Amino acid sequence: MNLQYNGQEQIPADPATVWTFVKDPDQVGHCLPDLLELTVHDATHFDAVVRVGVGPVRGKFKFKFELQPDEAARRMNMKIAGGGFGSAVDLTAGAEILPAADAGKTILNWNGTAVMRGPVAAVGGRVLDAQAQKVIAQTFGNVRERLTA
Amino acid sequence: MSIEATEERHALGHRMKRKEDPRFLQGQGRYVDDIAMPGMLFAAIARSPYPHATIKNIDISEAMKVPGVKAVITGKDLEAAGLGWLPTFHGYDKQMVLAIGKVLFQYQEVAAVFAETRGAAEDGAEAVQVEYEPLPVVADPFTSRKDEVILRPDREQKTNHIYHWEVGDKDGTARALESSAKRVSQRIWFQRCHPAPLEPCGCVAHFDAMGRLQFYVTSQAPHVYRTALALVTGIPEDKIHVVSPDIGGGFGNKVPVYPGYVCAIVGALKLGRPVKWIETRTENLTSTGFARDYHMDVELGADRNGRLTALRVSTAADHGAFDAAADPTKYPAGMFGVVTGSYDIPVAHAEVDAYFTNKAPGGIAYRCSFRVTEASYAIERAMDVLADELGLDAVELRRRNFIKKEQFPYPSALGFTYDSGDYHQTLDKALEMIGYQDLLKEQAEKRARGELMGIGISTFTEVVGAGPSKHFDILGIKMFDSAEIRIHPTGAGFVRAGTKSQGQGHETTWAQIVAEELGLDPQTIMVEEGDTDTAPYGLGTYASRSTPVAGAAIAVAARRVREKARKIAAHLLEVGEADVEWKDYKFQVKGVPAKTVTMKEVAFAAYTNPGPNEPGLEATNYYDPPNMTFPYGTYIAVVDIDRETGEVKVRRFLAVDDCGTVINPLVVEGQIHGGLTEGFAIAFMQEIQYDRDGNNLNTNFTDYLVPTSLETPHWETGNTVTPSPHHPIGAKGVGESPNVGSPAAFVNAVVDALAPLGVRHIEMPVTREKVWRAIQGGNVA
Repeated sequence: MNLQYNGQEQIPADPATVWTFVKDPDQVGHCLPDLLELTVHDATHFDAVVRVGVGPVRGKFKFKFELQPDEAARRMNMKIAGGGFGSAVDLTAGAEILPAADAGKTILNWNGTAVMRGPVAAVGGRVLDAQAQKVIAQTFGNVRERLTA
Repeated sequence: MSIEATEERHALGHRMKRKEDPRFLQGQGRYVDDIAMPGMLFAAIARSPYPHATIKNIDISEAMKVPGVKAVITGKDLEAAGLGWLPTFHGYDKQMVLAIGKVLFQYQEVAAVFAETRGAAEDGAEAVQVEYEPLPVVADPFTSRKDEVILRPDREQKTNHIYHWEVGDKDGTARALESSAKRVSQRIWFQRCHPAPLEPCGCVAHFDAMGRLQFYVTSQAPHVYRTALALVTGIPEDKIHVVSPDIGGGFGNKVPVYPGYVCAIVGALKLGRPVKWIETRTENLTSTGFARDYHMDVELGADRNGRLTALRVSTAADHGAFDAAADPTKYPAGMFGVVTGSYDIPVAHAEVDAYFTNKAPGGIAYRCSFRVTEASYAIERAMDVLADELGLDAVELRRRNFIKKEQFPYPSALGFTYDSGDYHQTLDKALEMIGYQDLLKEQAEKRARGELMGIGISTFTEVVGAGPSKHFDILGIKMFDSAEIRIHPTGAGFVRAGTKSQGQGHETTWAQIVAEELGLDPQTIMVEEGDTDTAPYGLGTYASRSTPVAGAAIAVAARRVREKARKIAAHLLEVGEADVEWKDYKFQVKGVPAKTVTMKEVAFAAYTNPGPNEPGLEATNYYDPPNMTFPYGTYIAVVDIDRETGEVKVRRFLAVDDCGTVINPLVVEGQIHGGLTEGFAIAFMQEIQYDRDGNNLNTNFTDYLVPTSLETPHWETGNTVTPSPHHPIGAKGVGESPNVGSPAAFVNAVVDALAPLGVRHIEMPVTREKVWRAIQGGNVA
C-alpha cells in the first residue's frame, strides 16, 4: 500500500534556524510522536523506536533514519526504513526551507511517500490514512514547539 | 425432505447417529494442540513483510536475548544441514523451508524460534532483525508470463512459466467452433480462496528415548508424511511414527507438508526436547495451501437447436511462489479434464498454463477432487451464458445435452470414462421438488413489476476417488488405499484404514460397511485411523477418495473375513464349505434355513473351536480402484436481490445428489450441508486478495469471512441412487459434491436475476458492492 502526502507548514523561526534544526538528528528524532528510544549514530543517521497503533496493529516499531541534506538548495531529504509486528514501512520524505513573507518566519514545503507492507497495510489499511495524517500533524506540532521553546 | 433410509438393509442405508459425535460435542476430542509433554518447547516463525525481496542480513542476537528463547534457526542453518528445501507433493518443484537468499511472498517463513513458552517464542520471532532489499513484485499470472522479472532464478528454466498442460483435440475443437451456428466465450475467474479450517495447522515433534521421531500432526495423509519425512530428513522410515489425532477440518489445507513441521522436527532434534508448533489464524490464511486462482477462457459452440458442438477452455493458473499444488504426479492440472461436465460434447480441448507469482504457494483442492470445482464452475457458468445467447431456458439447454443413461460407461471427449449416471432423472426430481414451473411464473410476475428474482441451476458431474494405480501417484506412491479388519471372539472388532477423518464421519460409516458385510453390530466395530504404526499404508483423505477407495478396501477386506468365516461356519455346521451360503446376514446350510450360525458364533469359534482352520478372524486389503467414480447432482438456487443495496438473499437452495449407494443418509446430509455452506461462502464472501504490491489483504476472519448460522441459507436436500458399477458396494463419495456444484448455482441465480439489466456474468465473490455496481450498469467482471 502506497501513501503520498505533501503540504506546507509555517514555522515561527527564521530559515537559518530551521535549517540548522532539521539537520540535527537529535532534534528531528525528538519530534517523532510517541518516541520511546532515540539512538543517534552520526550527523546523518539515527534509529528511533516509536509506539505505533494502527487499528488493531499496535506495538513498538523500529525505524532507521538517514538524513540527506542539500545545503545549496536548503532541502532535506530523508530515507526511513523499519517496521514491527510483521510489518514493514519504507518512507521517503523531503522538505524545502523557504523564507516566509513575514520576516523571521519560515515556510516548509514538504512531501512524503510511504510504502506499507504486512498487517499494517492489510489490517490497518482502513484507518491508515487517518493515522498518517495524525502523525504528520503531531510531528510538525513538535517541530514548532521545539523551535519556539 | 431428507434422504430416505433403506429399511431392508442391515447397516447400510441406516441413519445411524455418528459414533464420534458424543466425543466432539462434549469437548473430548483430542487435537494436536491438546498434546502436552514434559519439557516441551514452543516454536514461532518470523515471517517476511515483503512479497519479494533480497535478504541482506538476518540478525538473531536480539531474539536470543529474549528470556526463554533457546534457539533460532534460519534458512542458511537448514541449508547447511541439507534441509533447506522441501519437495512439493507432485514432485516437480521444491519449496524453501526457511527463506534462503530471498523471500518470494509476504508472510514467507524466514526464521524459527524455539522457547520455553509460546509467548517467548513469539517475542523472539518479533525480535529477529532482517534486512531486506525490496525487489519488483509480480502479483498476477498475466504480468508473470511476460517474464520481465524472473521470480525463481534457482530453477533451471529461467521463466515464470511452470508448465503447459493440455488434453483433447485442439484442431478438431477449433474447426468445430468455427463451423458452429452459435458460439459464446466468457472469461471466468475462480478467485483465490482458502479452506480456512477452524483448527489451523500444527504439530508436536519429539525424539523418544529410542531416538524415534514421534510426530503428532494435523495431516490428512499421515502415511505420506512419514515417507516424505524419511525422504527429506534421511531418518529411516521405521524411526518415524506419525500420528494424526482428531482434526478440526482439513478441506485440502492439511494435505501438504509445511515448513513449520520441518522446523519443529529440527528444533526437537537440535534441543533434545519436544517442540510444539501451532500456527495462528493469520499464518494459516497467508502461508498454507490456498485453492483455485484459475483464470479460465471458456468457449462453447452449439447448433441452432442448442446441441453442443465443441468446448474449448484456456486457463492461466496462479500458483504463487512455489509449485506446491497438491496434484497427482501425472496430473499437474488435476482432474480439470472433467470440464465437459454432464454433457455429451463431441469434441473438446482444455489447456492450463501455470505461472509463478509473489503470492503464497498452494493450489490445493478445497473440498473437491483436484481442480474439479474450477472445471465444474466453468462449464456450468458457460452453459448459462450459452442459454442466454440462444434465448433458451437454462434447464432445457442442459436437458438437450445431457449424457443419456444408456450411454454409460461414457467416454468423455477429454479422456475420462464416466461410470454411471441418470442425469435426466435427477434433474426431473429436483425440478419437481423445488416447483420449477411455479418459480418461473413467479419470476415473470416479479420481473413485470421490476423486481429482481433469479433461479440458478447447476447440473454438475464430479470425478473423484483417485485413483487407479496406472494413472495416479503422489511422490511415486500409487494412490491405492487400505483396510485391516479384525473380529474379536465376542463378535466385536475393529477396522483400521489408511484414510484420516477430519469430520467426515469415518468412525461411523466404516463401521457400517463392516457391519453390513459381516452381519455384525456397527456399534461394536471400532474404527481407527491416523496412526502409522497401526493403520495399513494409505494415501489419506482428500479429493473425495475415502469412500471410493478406502471404503472399497474395507468392503473387500470384510468379504475376505467372511470367506474365512465360511470355512469355520462349515466346520460348525458339519457340512462342506460348498454347502454353506451367506444369507440374511447369517451362514446357513444351502436349502436348510433352520441350520444357521451367526457371524458372532463363528467369531467365537475362530478363537475357541476353529476346527481344521487357522485360528483368528482378520483380513487386510489394499484396494487399487479400476476407475474413478463420478458423483453428480442437480442444484437449484433461488435468490432475491435488493435493487437499492445490491443485497442478495438466497431464498431457497435445493441439492439433489446422486452419490451412488448411500452408506448413511444422516452423514451424507451432514456432508452436503457443510459443503453447501462452504460453497455459499466462496460464492458470496471469500477471496484471498493481493494488492498490486503483493500485500495479502485477507489475513484474518474480519477480512476473510466464514459464514455463521445467521448468514447461512436453509438447505433442502434430496437424492437419487445410481450405484457405481465398479465399486464393491456401489458408493461414489459425496463430501465434496456440494462445494463443487453449488458456486455455479449461486452465481447463475444472481446473473439470472440481473439478466433483465443486461448482465451476463459476475465474478465471485458476489459481494453487495459488485451487485450494486452491476445494477448501476458498471463493470463487474
